[in-house]
Amino acid sequence: MVTDSESIRKLAEDLEKQELDAPGGIPPSQVYAQLLAIYLYQNDLCNAKYLWKRIPQNVKSSHSELNSIWKVGQKMWLRDFPGVYAALNTEWSENVSQIMQALQESVRKRAIHLVAQAYSSIKLDDLTQFLGLPSEQAAQAAIEQGWQMDAGLMVKPCSPPSEPYQVTSREEQLYKLTEFVSFLEN
Amino acid sequence: MASALEQFVNNVRTLSAQGNFRELCEMLNKSTEVLMKNGQHLDNVLETLDLQQHSLGVLAVLCVKFSLPALATTPDHHELLFAQAQEFIIGCNGEQVRFAPDTYAELCHLLTHSLVELKLPLRGIDLMRRAIRKIQLFDSQLTSIHADLCQLCLLAKCFKPALEFLNTDITSISQEGGQFDAKYFLLYYYYGGMIYTALKNYDRALYFFEVAITTPAMAVSHVMLEAYKKYILVSLILHGKVLNIPKYTSQVVGRFIKPLSQAYHDLATAYTTNNSDELRTTINKYQESFARDSNTGLTKQVIASLYKKNIQRLTKTFLTLSLSDVASRVQLSGPGEAEKYILNMIEDGEIFATINQKDGMVIFHDDPEKYNSPAMLRRLEEEMAVCTDLDRKVQSMEEDIMVNPQFVKKSCGTQDDDIPPATTQGTKITTYSM
Repeated sequence: MVTDSESIRKLAEDLEKQELDAPGGIPPSQVYAQLLAIYLYQNDLCNAKYLWKRIPQNVKSSHSELNSIWKVGQKMWLRDFPGVYAALNTEWSENVSQIMQALQESVRKRAIHLVAQAYSSIKLDDLTQFLGLPSEQAAQAAIEQGWQMDAGLMVKPCSPPSEPYQVTSREEQLYKLTEFVSFLEN
Repeated sequence: MASALEQFVNNVRTLSAQGNFRELCEMLNKSTEVLMKNGQHLDNVLETLDLQQHSLGVLAVLCVKFSLPALATTPDHHELLFAQAQEFIIGCNGEQVRFAPDTYAELCHLLTHSLVELKLPLRGIDLMRRAIRKIQLFDSQLTSIHADLCQLCLLAKCFKPALEFLNTDITSISQEGGQFDAKYFLLYYYYGGMIYTALKNYDRALYFFEVAITTPAMAVSHVMLEAYKKYILVSLILHGKVLNIPKYTSQVVGRFIKPLSQAYHDLATAYTTNNSDELRTTINKYQESFARDSNTGLTKQVIASLYKKNIQRLTKTFLTLSLSDVASRVQLSGPGEAEKYILNMIEDGEIFATINQKDGMVIFHDDPEKYNSPAMLRRLEEEMAVCTDLDRKVQSMEEDIMVNPQFVKKSCGTQDDDIPPATTQGTKITTYSM
């Protein structure tokens, strides 16, 4: 199992199909667990919620890991970052461990992006909450991002530079423009 | 008795072999009664027919099997029936069943109904997907089976399989036996709207509900009524106000449906005061009727959306504001909650602001989009392509209508009755009427 988003998407499609094709409509609980974890990784909370709702009760009670995965989902739904890290901090079975690892990274990335976007200054304590890291490591992470720190334990994030866009070739643009004008003329 | 069945089988075989499917359809329509009477022998009949060569015959027999009074409602019976229907839908000859799309759709409705009764909606989803793909002439054609698929998806709480269909805009409606039941049209848009609402794609949901309530109608449909209620709620969540209903909406909506959804209109009125307490009072007052319509969850989201709307309104007045001021103006419990709301809104791109924890202030910004980036240009190009495409479709539909004999006849007829045609009348029409 690889953890880049493309292969995860493929895996999800495969799992969705397994669920639909399952005899009697109930696939093995590993399928549910993986699919739920993947939805969380994709930050697709709506689908995760409804997946949780459609898992039969007896599967939920017999497969306790499902409950722990969903606990992460609940915290994500509430956007309770410290809660997410706390819920993520358990031993995952081999079945889902890689996805949960990737999930944790993506949550942290999202948190950094959000802090950079939303704060001009933030308490170091709050930053550690957002990142779910001990304060020294959080400070380290802030410096890596190029954020400044002052003595009062305030971090000053700065927005990341916007990503460069792919520029389409001029000929292509000219073609599109011609098409557009010819449409208007007719 | 057995001879009648034998004759049925022989007829199916000879007519199928001759390729005389139109006649075969007529024969099948007449033989429903014979099949009904011989309910217990139908499995034998199925054995004598070939799935590929006699698809129409098999279809008719299966349909009768589903509508037989449930003598043996054992799980085995349903299991067998499901397996037979599955085999048929996967293996039948698409060309042949297109001669009887109404019976084909009927089989799907019956199958859906039985799965719903058995509380096994998930099992039918993939089958209905295949069923639609088999009978459709092209992707954007609506069949009445679409509604079945959406219903199963809603009941199974599994929405992804329906999305590939919902995301395709419908440009044509399949002719099922010369007519398409309005019920399935309305249900498709109503269920589709619900699916999009559940996935929080409110934009698309609102469009689906709008289609449902703007369907031409002479009488009140319950589907339309429920769609109207949800239209109000989704409109409030998405736009913070109830959008005006398009002019072409049937009068039925204004005359009968509006008075029937008083609770929702009061809710919308309370929303316009921008006062969360008042909104809450109204929602509590009508709690029962909202619960009856199972819209309680949506009303809760309406409350949350009012907080957001009030924060958005602040950005129009202030450049900077302290978090505690935000909290008191928006009637939130304290600066902590205000920070949380603002943070969530920033993440969702609903406002542009930065929080300064040092001073406890929020600084509101303008939309940073300057509409001068290559990305925006690309988006513009894409949207233009969509519009061009739409225009082409409208034009080809118009051409179809122009050459439709009924339309030509009608437009000629009105010219005779009316005062001599004015020169302003479309030149195209006069050309065709000549």
